[in-house]
Amino acid sequence: MDAIIARDLTKTFHTIARRPGFVGGLKSLVAPARIAKTAVDGVSFSVREGELLALLGPNGAGKSTTIKMLTGILVPTSGEVRVAGLEPHRDRERNARTIGAVFGQRTQLWWDLPARDSLAILRDIFDVEAEEYRRRLAEFDDLLGLSEFWDSRIRHLSLGQRVRCDLAAALIHDPKIVFLDEPTIGMDVVVKEQVREFLRHQVEQRGRTVVLTTHDMTEVNRLAERIVLINHGRLFFDGSLTELRRQFGATWQVHVTLADAPADVAVPGLRVLRRDGPRVAFGPGDGATSTHEALRLIIERYAITDLAIEENDLEDVMREAYLHREQMTA
Amino acid sequence: MGLVWRITRLNFRAVLEYRAEFMLKVAVGAAWQISVVVFATVLLTRFPGMGGWATSDVLLLASMRLLSHGLYVLLLGRVTWTHIVVQLGQIDAFMLRPMPVYRQVQLAFFNVNAVGDLLVAASLFVGAVLVVDVDWTPARIAYLVVALVGGVLAEGAIGTALGSAALHAPATAYWSMWLDELMTAFGNYPLHILPGLVRDAFTFVLPLAFVAYLPAAVLTGHLETLAVPGWLAVASPLIGLLAYLASRLLWKRSLRAYKGYGGT
Ligand SMILES: Nc1ncnc2c1ncn2[C@@H]1O[C@H](COP(=O)(O)OP(=O)(O)OP(=O)(O)O)[C@@H](O)[C@H]1O
Ligand SMILES: [Mg+2]
Repeated sequence: MDAIIARDLTKTFHTIARRPGFVGGLKSLVAPARIAKTAVDGVSFSVREGELLALLGPNGAGKSTTIKMLTGILVPTSGEVRVAGLEPHRDRERNARTIGAVFGQRTQLWWDLPARDSLAILRDIFDVEAEEYRRRLAEFDDLLGLSEFWDSRIRHLSLGQRVRCDLAAALIHDPKIVFLDEPTIGMDVVVKEQVREFLRHQVEQRGRTVVLTTHDMTEVNRLAERIVLINHGRLFFDGSLTELRRQFGATWQVHVTLADAPADVAVPGLRVLRRDGPRVAFGPGDGATSTHEALRLIIERYAITDLAIEENDLEDVMREAYLHREQMTA
Repeated sequence: MGLVWRITRLNFRAVLEYRAEFMLKVAVGAAWQISVVVFATVLLTRFPGMGGWATSDVLLLASMRLLSHGLYVLLLGRVTWTHIVVQLGQIDAFMLRPMPVYRQVQLAFFNVNAVGDLLVAASLFVGAVLVVDVDWTPARIAYLVVALVGGVLAEGAIGTALGSAALHAPATAYWSMWLDELMTAFGNYPLHILPGLVRDAFTFVLPLAFVAYLPAAVLTGHLETLAVPGWLAVASPLIGLLAYLASRLLWKRSLRAYKGYGGT
């Protein structure tokens, strides 16, 4: 069952272009030049129930805009959204009961109230039963350590503390589907780990569907079953982490030192990246070859005295993917 | 309704916790109103019988306007802060809750100034009702109450219309401030002392006349001094209601076209 369906989702913002200089400013006032910016451009994907999907892409890719359309905050310019069978912007209040959302950069809580009061208000707005509420609050406190600071006003909390309160607030009504836009922003390593555990718990134990954006690749590595990549508003990858590595991350290098230095070094299926006397650096050739495979091929042909394998971490894979996309659009 | 009350109570408790700030805000609200009253008193004693109205009649008009303004600030006034709510990104959060966004804007915080406003306005109002030469029959008392509600709604209509604009362009806040000044400056006097064009603008463009001037004219029997037909003056509360409903429709349309405040 698909919890979320996005079909050809597009959002175009119209803004007024500023012309440079004073005269230009006056011109803009008299005859404003409207420019259209397509932040999300024909994005289609779906998320199964109980799946955790990481929506990734560089700054300005259109991740937040996509999430805002999925949550009903923005009305799509065109295309279709279904979240738990509802059209979020048409059925806003009903949709609000089935989803929860955290926008890490901004709080949804009452600035001047202690976090606990905010949570109590949300309990009332969402008609959460008192007993349920107590149980959930205890669970969130247990996993996120909220009671240390939940009697302080939101405006006095640190960023990491505040986002943890926001997480609890987004889940207090037990939503089936959760949208998290940079939920670990500003958190220290310990808290980040705590939040990751919390999210894993929400998916695995509570069966929630989660859509997550983040710039933290460790998080992606630990949490994401599936990844959707967008850049310049367009989707260009949808698959598992392994597939992503296979497609963009086959940029390993195998460094060897040959026992004797033949004039010509060549291994079918591999590429020689650098050669410096007996020291040779191999990279993958045309086909996607694993490092094990490459090693076997090299050893079959040459005697080696030294060996080092350099595999790209996820950040490199991601950089490769983003750049690849830039070239495709260029 | 219980929910609205509970949230308001929490908001109120939050401002109470900053005791000094609370007292300062109440005091400034009161000081603001008192300065308006002092100014009005000076005007009235220098020019008795303003526009053919007795001083006590003008006093009733001024106090009706101040009281409905105070009630407006208390009950609906947060809508004039829409630009702040937009800039803080709170509208986004409001859209994620099963409650009308308009109501959430109204519940965003407790406006302490309103308390001071209301204290002064209410005392002035009681004084004016006692002093004015009106035979307070039950019908007139009922009309007075309805007129006050109408005044709240008329001002609410102006605030909501501006709030709807602020959803898209927070800079409209400057217009709200200017209009507020304008209404404070002219709202407390018989508008027919102004040039015809200005008076008409305050009647048909900005519905200021319907807030207190026209209903006060009805109560004090000054229908002949008006530039509008008597029935229209009597219908002021209804006009306030209609204007408010229209402004709520405008809000609804405006919210549908909400495009967020910048990217995050
Ligand atoms: N309200 C708006 N008006 C005009 N342009 C906007 C608006 N909101 C977003 N944009 C533009 O749309 C594009 C996508 O923005 P979005 O916030 O979705 O990016 P993002 O992928 O979330 O980036 P980041 O990783 O930096 O958070 C950006 O170029 C941004 O400038
Ligand atoms: Mg973003």
